[in-house]
Amino acid sequence: MRDTVLVVGAGLAGLSAATELARAGLPVLVVDQAQAVGGAIHRQPLPGVRSIASGAQKRRWAGVMAGVAAQGGRITLALGTRFGGVDHTGAVLLTGAMNRLIRPRALALALGARESVQPRPGWTLPGVETAGSLQTRLKTLAEAPAGRVLLAGSGPLLLALGAELVKLGRPPLAILEAGRPFARPLAALRLPRSYWAEAATYLTRLRLARVPILTGTHLTAIRAEGGALVAEATGGRRLTADHIALHDGIRSNDIGLPDCATLPVVRLGDCREALGARAALADGRAGGAALAARLLGRPEPAPDAELARQRAAQALLAQLYAHDGAARLADLPGDTVICRCEARTVNDLRALGPSPRARQLRLDGRFAMGPCQGRFCGDWVARLAAADNPGPDTPTPGIGAPRWPARPIAVADLLAATDETEGETR
Amino acid sequence: MTTGTIFWAGQPVPFRVGETVASALMRAGIAAFGTAPTGQARAVFCGIGLCQGCLIRAEGRITEACLLPARDGLRLSPEIGGDDA
Amino acid sequence: MTQALHHDVAIAGAGIVGASVAWHLAQAGLRVAVIDAVGPAAAASGASDGAVSVASKKPGPLARLASASLLYTRDLAGQGLLAGAFHARPSYVFGQGDAEIAALDALIDKLAQIAGPVRVTGDGGAGALPGLGAAVERLVTLDGEGHMPGHKAVRAYLAAPGITPIWPARIRGLDSDDAGVTIDLGDRRLRAGHLVAALGVSTPALFPALPVQPRAGQLFVTDRGPAGTLPGSLTAAAYLVAKTDAPGVLPLPPVVIDPLTTGQFLIGSSREDHADPTRVDFATMRQLMRRAVDAFPALAERRVIRAFAGIRAAVADSLPIVGPLPGAPRITVATGFEGDGICLSALIGREVARMVQGLAPTDALATDLAALTPARFGAPLQEARA
Repeated sequence: MRDTVLVVGAGLAGLSAATELARAGLPVLVVDQAQAVGGAIHRQPLPGVRSIASGAQKRRWAGVMAGVAAQGGRITLALGTRFGGVDHTGAVLLTGAMNRLIRPRALALALGARESVQPRPGWTLPGVETAGSLQTRLKTLAEAPAGRVLLAGSGPLLLALGAELVKLGRPPLAILEAGRPFARPLAALRLPRSYWAEAATYLTRLRLARVPILTGTHLTAIRAEGGALVAEATGGRRLTADHIALHDGIRSNDIGLPDCATLPVVRLGDCREALGARAALADGRAGGAALAARLLGRPEPAPDAELARQRAAQALLAQLYAHDGAARLADLPGDTVICRCEARTVNDLRALGPSPRARQLRLDGRFAMGPCQGRFCGDWVARLAAADNPGPDTPTPGIGAPRWPARPIAVADLLAATDETEGETR
Repeated sequence: MTTGTIFWAGQPVPFRVGETVASALMRAGIAAFGTAPTGQARAVFCGIGLCQGCLIRAEGRITEACLLPARDGLRLSPEIGGDDA
Repeated sequence: MTQALHHDVAIAGAGIVGASVAWHLAQAGLRVAVIDAVGPAAAASGASDGAVSVASKKPGPLARLASASLLYTRDLAGQGLLAGAFHARPSYVFGQGDAEIAALDALIDKLAQIAGPVRVTGDGGAGALPGLGAAVERLVTLDGEGHMPGHKAVRAYLAAPGITPIWPARIRGLDSDDAGVTIDLGDRRLRAGHLVAALGVSTPALFPALPVQPRAGQLFVTDRGPAGTLPGSLTAAAYLVAKTDAPGVLPLPPVVIDPLTTGQFLIGSSREDHADPTRVDFATMRQLMRRAVDAFPALAERRVIRAFAGIRAAVADSLPIVGPLPGAPRITVATGFEGDGICLSALIGREVARMVQGLAPTDALATDLAALTPARFGAPLQEARA
């Protein structure tokens, strides 16, 4: 195993990196927690299920898979396998289908993005999930959930998901978009053509199905009533749904990944910088090639210019979608849950007094102390705490201390792992 | 399409091959997976193993339903209060 | 040199020892400042298992002082000050194999000699406590000890009126004379009648001649889990051996299983000579967790959600350093508690406050406190200028 480069994540970035590493002659092990390749964006359908991906998406993924296939036996793929973390000695724990403790030659982390969802009353109710979560099921099942679906939050993913629901014959009740992305068409013209083409497809499909797209509208609260979910939105709107999908943007899924001095570690794609699919493909390729060159002592290739283009496009998208939603945090009712893991509320945060420090937030407030390791509350807790006191000690952007391991590790898995590090030192 | 049966708190739930436990339960109309030790309902939120909201008990382990592949005859129960026997 | 005093006493270090000293001095009506480079409980106190344990203390002065401090901690909890921080609970020590069984005999002897508040209430097999596994050949049950998360105690102490918090602020240098101490904080200077240095692992930065070394202990935190907890901490006798003898070959991994009030477990602890709180490894985690599961099989169903290394201030002779600094009568040191600061903090806070006020130590403790003097390291020590 000590000659093998471990790639974590079998999405766009991970598999394109694996292809470059293998092309340079290195043995590569790719692990992914899911049962199928594709990551979040190109999640593949179950066996026998017809893909709902667009033609462009299918072509992109076919290209990635052709690259992997061309490397033959040099790439080993382990699905259903989770990355537990890397320790300071360079040991990596894998759990799940491949339950091993290994010492790879290098590590490429392509763990993708996590969704950002702003806390709201009722966001912890069953039936409320992230847009990405619902989309994963649509992609694997090619089937929409039974009942009324409401999409809310902000960002292009809501349009994509809405269009996919239309395609599956179950248009969403509405899309509540906090921003006003269509308000500045001239600025939007600066987006790359491919963005336009994609947006046009989604919007056409949504318009034909008469799905209301309510821009400048915030979903402010959800409550369970009579077996359904009642959503309250700004403008006095009230909608009753069976499923609500929330989405307020994406962030790198890079929590729990401290640097390791004993072996080369790179982060690729959304895991390094959340810029979406096009960038992930380019970054995976360039990052994989650069890591291979570094390991083999060859000159490193120049960075891919595509990354800068995508960064500019994403920045423009962020401007187009800009809204004041985060300001609403300060007005949340005191019993609103912020930390989903331990049900810590706005009141619990306020009880810490003015300008709480990162340590206080964690030790006394118990924020970001649950098993999600702050992935879903950290940004909001930091923002709420900072709203009180924008001083130099403001805990931003997260609330301190890197977390380790990378994910919760079942003690049973830890003990059952085959130790392949014995006698190997670095 | 190949299918099979898992058991949630003793009740049979059909699944499709390759599907996760969470997906099968949700298609069967089961959105609440029991109660967390801190009192809130267990349910799918992020769907990709990050948020830890959909923990259930399977074969002596507490695990994310959204990552666990369904397997014929697999017995599952809520994290608290159930048993997977 | 005559300068106006800003504070009667400045305390360097807002860990549990510094906080306790501050509270005791403030109770005596003195104006106290607490200076910390980061903030309250930022180092070992915030990364502790919270055990208020006499059983784990080195026999002799340390164990006797710990016993007295436990009593006093219970008093402070009874009076309300530490009511939200300390709670009494039984503790359990288990052994497997000859070396550990012998260590349990030594433990029982030690507690009998102290004749303090910690009593052996049981000595038998694993059956004494439901849910124990094959690693428990012999189980000693203790009554009288307790649990106190360091950060909670620190918060309680520092909430007292009369304490001025100064953080984040790094002490760049000290100047002591017969009338007091001038403290250089970079952007300003403070003048105090006394300085109490409760700096833990940061001690050598200001007092390089004090032989305080960082010692790391890896700790693992589980999730809350569905059920099956313990009424108190479950400690392998190997841990006592590790704490009381010079580091050497241990009979078995020195595991401590600590049930937290949240329903989680804190499992430790290795002893390693470095100062990196992020240095944790799967091999140590496996070694400790394997023994933890052998002792308490329900842990196999839990998940480890967090791991870190607590960095403690260790001293070569395994005794803390407490007392006036030779050659600098206005500076008093209280450091080097390694893992024992949680238990000793209440008493040491009281006694250091007495020293600073020129009062004699509490009678019964005088001899044992004298064993902790910085003077045991020989020649007068000069404070450093950073």
